[in-house]
Amino acid sequence: MKDFTLIKENINKESNTLLKNRKNKVYNSIKNALNFYNEEYKFSPLLKRVSKKFDILNSIPNIDTKASFNNDLLKKYKKQFSIITINGIFQKNISKIPSGLQVNVYNDLNKDEKKTFHKSFNNQDDSNNDIFTSINTINYKESLIIKINKNYSSKEHINILNFLNSKSVNHLRKLIVCNPNSKATFLEEIINMSSNENFSTSVTEIFQEENSEIEYFTLQNNPNDFHFNSINISQKQNSISNCFTFSYSGALVRNNLNIELKDKNCYANMYGFYALKNNSHVDNHTTVDHIDENSISNEHYKGIMDGNSNGVFNGKIFVRKKAQKTNAFQSNNNILLSDNAKVNTKPQLEIWADDVKCSHGCTVGQLDEEAMFYLMSRGIPKNKAITILLGAFFEEILEKIENDFIKEKIKNITEKQLEYFAL
Amino acid sequence: MLEIKNLHVSVDHNPILKGLNLKVNKGEIHAIMGPNGSGKSTLASVIAGREEYKIDKGSILFFNKELSELSADERAKKGIFLAFQYPVEIPGVSTTNFIKTAVNQIRQSKGKKPLDAVSFLKIMKEKMKLVEIKQTLLSRSINEGFSGGEKKKNEIFQMAMLEPELAILDETDSGLDIDALKIVANGVNKLKSKNNATILVTHYQRLLDYIIPDFVHVLIDGKIVKSGDKNLALELEEKGYDWIKVNN
Repeated sequence: MKDFTLIKENINKESNTLLKNRKNKVYNSIKNALNFYNEEYKFSPLLKRVSKKFDILNSIPNIDTKASFNNDLLKKYKKQFSIITINGIFQKNISKIPSGLQVNVYNDLNKDEKKTFHKSFNNQDDSNNDIFTSINTINYKESLIIKINKNYSSKEHINILNFLNSKSVNHLRKLIVCNPNSKATFLEEIINMSSNENFSTSVTEIFQEENSEIEYFTLQNNPNDFHFNSINISQKQNSISNCFTFSYSGALVRNNLNIELKDKNCYANMYGFYALKNNSHVDNHTTVDHIDENSISNEHYKGIMDGNSNGVFNGKIFVRKKAQKTNAFQSNNNILLSDNAKVNTKPQLEIWADDVKCSHGCTVGQLDEEAMFYLMSRGIPKNKAITILLGAFFEEILEKIENDFIKEKIKNITEKQLEYFAL
Repeated sequence: MLEIKNLHVSVDHNPILKGLNLKVNKGEIHAIMGPNGSGKSTLASVIAGREEYKIDKGSILFFNKELSELSADERAKKGIFLAFQYPVEIPGVSTTNFIKTAVNQIRQSKGKKPLDAVSFLKIMKEKMKLVEIKQTLLSRSINEGFSGGEKKKNEIFQMAMLEPELAILDETDSGLDIDALKIVANGVNKLKSKNNATILVTHYQRLLDYIIPDFVHVLIDGKIVKSGDKNLALELEEKGYDWIKVNN
């Protein structure tokens, strides 16, 4: 932690002055931040845990990104659109990209494109000052830029598959631009190719132009991952965002989801489901910022914790003075299945406008014993009764998924986990 | 069929049943009456296998086999059914799917093949007529938003679907208007056969106008203090429970 010389050298090697300045700025801000207690990470001491195990500031350059990768890993995704990275490096030749989407890396952009890129990209570092976002900014090797064409619309989803093969630290970075009237669905996964512990950060910035719609699914299921994930969405008029975060395991996973509703008539749906066992630890921090009037945000996270697992939910809603006629809803429900499972949940609302409709709340409970007895008294065995009740708890999130393929996939993964809980 | 001997049951170290004896044979209807807090619902729950109740002493034999070691679902598979006093609302679980799962679990335990969708639907339609329950109700989540009458009808409907040997109706008459009471009683009467038995737990005589019991037992302070035929219920209605307390 104390040795900042290497990182400074790396920043100085940066040839692009715009990026170099940006990185230097961030570098100066995190140098101090690293040494202070951070309230935002109160229940998830990610920095403390990973800085002991990994050299988090100095990611080692990967000599052979493709080591241990083979195309069999893609069999599961055959016939599906996929944007593929290995250790954060875009793999154009094995990706399958639908027409109507342009996927590039920053270095391939021409001068003008780079300029426009800088107008929107990286703004998150200034606005939320998250330590891991900053670490990502000064360390990522390649930034993926996904542009969705105007009027693009497809029901077929696009996978974003990030393969990691090294024990070192990886930083994934991408920008998604949704042009007007476009509609796209993404399903992002990290696939850890080794069973080693690893640390990765992923920062995604999504810019939604007018009338655009995005569905963004995040699927997390790697027990050895220390992972920081940040999705930052900025919405313009009449745009719709639907974010789903599904977590089934992780050594320590932190998800930041920040949504800015910058214009009128925006709609943001945020759903999450975490079903954890053993020592998994998953933290969901969300922020939705209503800046202008007549927008709706709707948030529902649900979690089941078993074993020694640990869940954290922190949801913030801001309703700015100008954001009259806002509708903002938030709720978080949790079921604890064991004595050692834990959840910390904190719903927050800050309202400056006076004509709004807002609600927030959270619950923590156990399996309903009355309901268990009711089911069992009809001949249903205990383990089956547990999966029925937990399945009903999950159903409320599942039914929000419109894409049939993803719905089926999430359903299968969840059912397996629920069956494990019932053992 | 059912034989309860010297049953002592406690909840959180509070004794509730204090030496209860009861024998029920095939084809019989027994009514258990008693004032509030006498242990009626405890008796119903303990036969069905609710875990919070601890059997301190005595035994419950069902077809000569001890029940106390069996879980609630195992008892249901042996043919015991409890119609709940307060049927539980379970949001997110469809009533039809739930009943189908239950029916097939019980069939499976008897070595029968699970019912396919078509034959299940056919049986369901028949039984629905019996308790005059609507299809729309069954496609909703279990008891969620059901009226008091609908919940009780749903209990009798489940009983019809599961065809138990022994049905225990815990205060099934409470919260029912007179029309619903008739429908529920009618359902119970139609399901009655030579091979099954019914225990009605109630504290009013009203239900017994529609379902005629072969035996009436009075439960006070954890013990059956008096048994008789249907006339005992009428006498109780007239004189109140204090009459029995005084006479004991």
